[in-house]
Amino acid sequence: MGLPVGKKINSFGMSERKPKNIFQQGAIPATFISESIQKHSSQTAIGGHSIFLGQVRADETENGKVKAIEFTAFEDMAHEKMHLIREDIFAKYPLTCMHVHHSLGHVQSGEICLFVFTSSAHRKAAMDACQETVERLKAELPIWGKEIMENDEHQWKVNK
Amino acid sequence: MQVHIMFFGQLTDITGTQELVLHDIYDTNTLQETLHELYPALANAKYAIAMNKKTIQGNSMFSGDSTIALLPPFSGG
Repeated sequence: MGLPVGKKINSFGMSERKPKNIFQQGAIPATFISESIQKHSSQTAIGGHSIFLGQVRADETENGKVKAIEFTAFEDMAHEKMHLIREDIFAKYPLTCMHVHHSLGHVQSGEICLFVFTSSAHRKAAMDACQETVERLKAELPIWGKEIMENDEHQWKVNK
Repeated sequence: MQVHIMFFGQLTDITGTQELVLHDIYDTNTLQETLHELYPALANAKYAIAMNKKTIQGNSMFSGDSTIALLPPFSGG
């Protein structure tokens, strides 16, 4: 049929790769992640999943200990950028699907703020695509983390 | 001509506001000079500029009403 490798076509013959909302308010619950895994059990062409979970770290800083991160984003621009990253990753790797979820607002230390989930027939594509997606979204998406300290001071998160 | 300016992240600590509307400014250099006069600490802050959601380099002319976003270094994930 000459379809690009990895391009997901739904039962209506349409590409499913349209801009998706990646943001949700607050932490990403473990139940959301397990339900997301469960939803893939009907897709039996998948042989491997790769998952990255970003967790808020209680860093000890010179301004105090981090108790939470307050995330804000330029949402429209982030969705356009994420769409481009998604297109690039699907063009590069034979993926079955990719899901990205990022928190906005308040996330306590120990809670999950980023969930990247890639699936493919064989493990390597899923693993490489997951890693590349995480690296790119941290570098390219207009999202900011304000670290709230135990003494209620704040400082702005710096990505390494 | 109207320019809608959006501030994000640590820049809002400097400006105390997330949004601002300015009139009769025709390019990004003039806009930056105006903003640095309004908020002197902004001149020492690191940020990129996006015009209508696209990052731009160098001076750019506004063609009609524009939305400008000042984007400090990203720290998502």
